[in-house]
Amino acid sequence: MKLQQSQQFTPMIPTASMADIAFLLIIFFMVTITFEVDKTQVLLPKTHIRLEVPKKAAYVSVTEQNVIKVSDGEELSNQVPGVEDVLSFASTVVASDPSKPFVLKADSNVQYDHIDKVIDALKQAKVEVIYLLSEQETVPVN
Amino acid sequence: MKINRDNKISDEIPASSMADIAFLLIIYFMVTTTFTATRGLDFGLPKEDDNPPEIEREDSVHIQVNPGGSILVDSKPMALDNLLEHLKGILKENPTKPVIIQTDPQAAYVDMVTVLDELRQSEEKIGMVIQNISIPTRREIESFWF
Repeated sequence: MKLQQSQQFTPMIPTASMADIAFLLIIFFMVTITFEVDKTQVLLPKTHIRLEVPKKAAYVSVTEQNVIKVSDGEELSNQVPGVEDVLSFASTVVASDPSKPFVLKADSNVQYDHIDKVIDALKQAKVEVIYLLSEQETVPVN
Repeated sequence: MKINRDNKISDEIPASSMADIAFLLIIYFMVTTTFTATRGLDFGLPKEDDNPPEIEREDSVHIQVNPGGSILVDSKPMALDNLLEHLKGILKENPTKPVIIQTDPQAAYVDMVTVLDELRQSEEKIGMVIQNISIPTRREIESFWF
């Protein structure tokens, strides 16, 4: 009588679909990625109320050292010499799109005097809405 | 003589390193991704009006924000936690009464934002929306009130 030889199984992890999964992840990252127009590092104030900033909004950022950068929402932000230049920049942006929202990205510790001048420049340029960029205020757990 | 016929050309595309390349790309994306804040407090600026209504200080609630974050409401010191309850009593009779935030130039930006954030939470804290919040600039204050 001829005995049937037992079948030998070679241990193997199926990796054929690994590339498909990985490429799906890459596509997900590429679709969801948003490019920042303003990469200025500031310590944002914390607030409870936080509304989503519209896409393509213009940015005015003020650092703790009072460095001011502006971006029209399309191109990367550029440093401007002073507040007077914020007025001319905002006027140009508003002239092309009167309803363009502006985002004020300012450091928590900046003296309000500087912020006052920036807001005044935006008001003079007839900006309709300003968003004060903030981080989420966390509620302490008792 | 026996001819060696082992030179077979494979018709497969080598895809064994595809997963490695893909995962390297994923790691690159994950390392270079930065999380950005895309939310904030909004406030609308008044549209230009040829005949703006004249508002006297007495017709509004005036909040003075001092350096350090302390506040004066109509020249009286007040804790921030009591602000909304105080305003509830005032605005019950006239909900459209303007609430004006005037910040000391020496104060920090966060001091003003904290007060504005507190006012914007009025609906959930006192069940009343403060309709008319104004943040005049120093130039406006000097030109309108002095």
